[in-house]
Amino acid sequence: MNNSFGMIADIQRCSTHDGPGIRTTVFLKGCNLRCAWCHNPETVDSREEWMYYPEKCIGCGLCSEGCYSGAKVLCGRKMTVEEVIRTVKLDEPYYSGGGGMTISGGEPLLQPEFTYRLLEAAKNCGIHAAIETNLTLPWKTAEPIAELCDLVMMDIKLWQADLHRKWTGGDNRNVLAGLKELSARKKPVIVRTPVIPTVNDRVEEISCIAEFAAGFDNVLYYELLPYHPLGQSKQLKEGAFKPEIFEKPDNSTMLKLASAARSYGIKVLVAGKEMRDIMDYNPKKESGWIE
Amino acid sequence: MDRMTWQDRADLLRKKKVQHTQQKKEKNGFMDADDYGTVPMPDSFTFQAIPNHSNGGFYGPTGWSVNFEAYMKEYPVYVDPLEILCGRWRGMLIQHAKGWPQDLYPYEELKREQELYGITTGIGADSHFAGDFSIGLALGWGGLLSKVRDYRDLHGEEKKEFYDAEERIILTIQHWIGRHIEEIKRLLEEEKTPEIRETLEKMLRCNEWVIEGAPRTFLEACQWVAWFATVSRIYDRDGAGFNLDVLLLPYYERDTAAGILDDGEARFIIANLLLIDTHYYQVSGADIDGNDLTNHLSYLVLEGAHMLNISNNLTVRYHDNMDREFFHKAVEYLFIDKNGWPRFSGDTGLMNYQKNKGVTKGDARNRIAVGCNWMAVPGKEYPLNDCIKINVAKVLDIAYHQMMQGEDYSLEKLMKIFEEHLKRAVEVTAKGIDIHFKHMHKVMPELVLDLIMHGTLEKGLNISQCAQLCTVGIDGVGLGTIADSLAAIEQRIVLEKKLSWQELYKAIQSNFEGVSGERTRLMLRASERYCQGDSLGDKWAVRVSELFARLVKEQPVPEGRELIPGWFSWSSTIMFGKQVGATADGRRAFTPVTHGANPNPGFRKDGAPTSMATGIAKVQPGYGNAAPLQLEMDPHLSAQEGGVEKVMQLLKTHMDMGGTLININVLDKEKLMEAHRDPSLHPDLVVRVTGFTAYFATLSPEFRQLVVDRFVEGL
Repeated sequence: MNNSFGMIADIQRCSTHDGPGIRTTVFLKGCNLRCAWCHNPETVDSREEWMYYPEKCIGCGLCSEGCYSGAKVLCGRKMTVEEVIRTVKLDEPYYSGGGGMTISGGEPLLQPEFTYRLLEAAKNCGIHAAIETNLTLPWKTAEPIAELCDLVMMDIKLWQADLHRKWTGGDNRNVLAGLKELSARKKPVIVRTPVIPTVNDRVEEISCIAEFAAGFDNVLYYELLPYHPLGQSKQLKEGAFKPEIFEKPDNSTMLKLASAARSYGIKVLVAGKEMRDIMDYNPKKESGWIE
Repeated sequence: MDRMTWQDRADLLRKKKVQHTQQKKEKNGFMDADDYGTVPMPDSFTFQAIPNHSNGGFYGPTGWSVNFEAYMKEYPVYVDPLEILCGRWRGMLIQHAKGWPQDLYPYEELKREQELYGITTGIGADSHFAGDFSIGLALGWGGLLSKVRDYRDLHGEEKKEFYDAEERIILTIQHWIGRHIEEIKRLLEEEKTPEIRETLEKMLRCNEWVIEGAPRTFLEACQWVAWFATVSRIYDRDGAGFNLDVLLLPYYERDTAAGILDDGEARFIIANLLLIDTHYYQVSGADIDGNDLTNHLSYLVLEGAHMLNISNNLTVRYHDNMDREFFHKAVEYLFIDKNGWPRFSGDTGLMNYQKNKGVTKGDARNRIAVGCNWMAVPGKEYPLNDCIKINVAKVLDIAYHQMMQGEDYSLEKLMKIFEEHLKRAVEVTAKGIDIHFKHMHKVMPELVLDLIMHGTLEKGLNISQCAQLCTVGIDGVGLGTIADSLAAIEQRIVLEKKLSWQELYKAIQSNFEGVSGERTRLMLRASERYCQGDSLGDKWAVRVSELFARLVKEQPVPEGRELIPGWFSWSSTIMFGKQVGATADGRRAFTPVTHGANPNPGFRKDGAPTSMATGIAKVQPGYGNAAPLQLEMDPHLSAQEGGVEKVMQLLKTHMDMGGTLININVLDKEKLMEAHRDPSLHPDLVVRVTGFTAYFATLSPEFRQLVVDRFVEGL
């Protein structure tokens, strides 16, 4: 691994769904999991790759000289810590309301040294730093990075180990152990579960996760994220990882799961909304409030 | 049956408002302008102007006052028993005027260059300054009439025409109020519902006093304001209000202390005032020492606006010491009502008005948001704000084509030619302003607004002759188009050498024809753009704005006047675009130029509002006139999800960085797109088009498209 560079899929400014306040989210490229519902499939492969939108092609025939129509877009760019932090600092004046930088992916722990240095650079600038991770890598990889974070947002996608392996291709033992380690260090954590119909949209499944998360004082809240088929609109080359399509979970399912989770005495959010606000959100609409 | 509540009435009035909007659209077609609070004019109303000039027009104090008197004689009255205030306007006298009399005050020598540079000259432009309502509230119509008569006696024959005209104006207004009083009496004879009778009786007593006396109560003060707002609209479309929660506070406090007013009624009275007209009112702000002016009435103003939730033009002035709870509440209404109100002005940037000659700190604080993109010092300033514009995108177009006629091409050379033309454009504009100031009082004196200006009645002069502050605004148009054009040239020709000057010229001349032209166009459009953040476009925008500001400020002007630069296109981006051929930012010929100080649509893939807010804060011309941030956004966050706090942070940061004015729409993207496809699906959707708000359904498809194009997602 080249220590000076990170492979960046995208940098999104003014993000509001990746942690508190107004944030800049740095999406690293490369993931060790293959979640069947993945909504960022372009961040799975750790190498540069082309994304295609043939409907935008103007037929100029000059693809090799650069495509400006948006029909062929390169995903992945090697960037130094300095380059990334320069972009992060563009929105620094907006971070004072609790915002900052979030490193997401892909899986940031697959680029541990770059992630560490980027966090270090943010901290040196006084910028709040958070990470979004699946936490499936060994704790020895996660530990130095977690130490630098002001906030860790981690997924517990499935409770049962065999199902976790089946649907994500990875083990969840490090995930559960990782939360214990984070708790021992009193690191603020948000635990999240993407709710995928037929995969984990069962009360038993969510209850186990909620009960486990409720046992740690450092967990700020437990958030349920309803599935959205966003990844399907992104077209990668032949042979690239392609997620499956699921139904969107309906309101009643989300409410049922949230209620079950809340019964363990943990604060529960659904797509950013606190449980007590959910009933008011869109009572007339049976589904679609998650759109 | 239950007694009708104030909210019940507001709900019925909102429904009626939607019906009126529909009727206006059927009668007048698309209305690409402010809603103005008008009600439909009956077909039976006709008016034949009384000319005093061979062109069929009417001019001067006598011409305008005589025609105002004739116009108002049969002008329809409007009393709705559901309301507590009365009066409404429908048509304007100025629509019957014939414009500048070229034979009397020609400026032929300027016209060629005015057209060349796409200059909106402002010659003959009406209103666009603010009266000091405290003058009128202190005197009432009767007091103003006495003042006119007293000064007429003092000045004698020389100023008699002016004072006679002012007397005629006031008597006409009183006559019109009198006709409303008769209508209220007639309605009272028919009305049976007790609570409606109660308010009609209040309305009657109020108007029987206000027709002559100075307002004593909150209700009377609001009724007086409503009359003034309505008649100044009828005269010449004036829409400047005042610091609503500050000026009316003593009336509110006195009435509540006396037990004759409660908050429920006060809220409804405010709602009623906002229903009658969309005048621009400021809420909150700071006093000369920076102390917060937010008070209980400030909250009632927001609550009154929310109660009605229609088109309004309230501006909240954000400042360092602002009550955070009030700021939160103001932003929250963007989310709750989603009707483009309120908007926000930034005290830090606006205080730069002090940098102009003869302007004090107190003037800068008092210079409040009373227009579409503009501010004015009530009673003291005559700025012609929003009336004078230079199509700077066209100036660059001229410079570019001139350079390409030669054989030597470079960015430095282009900028040199551009500066020469821009300097000339400013000179020509300034000469036009001189013409206006020299003759306006003989063409169209501001006989209504003159009543509440400082020095006008005292001296027997129109405000154009005697304003204490003549800080005249000149707005540049097309900043985003210009910045992106220069950035694209620098990136593709100078730095990357992917294009030659000749290749670009060929593509521009052919309007990017064919596949090759389209590829070039897309390459230009994919260059580093204004508002991306630290981009070539951002760099050029700052440089061009600094150049424009310098040239405007360096332009000598006579008689103690000052010119002030700003960036604003109003909603005329389509018109200005039709003056400009294809440009190096990949814009096709004669399509709209960029809006105000905003970037080109699609300036960033993530559309980050922070990036836009920073980019626009950096191009502020710095003398207290606005380069507004126009923001249409779906934050994908509800108020409960922290959306309010995040928008507050966005707005606060922009204004802390020197941003002057934020026109913001928090919208549901889905609803906006539905309304764009079929406006009838959402007849009550209000959007802030530029500084003004309008019902989306009344906008032409081209205008709806402009709003949709500016839309950004996320926050």
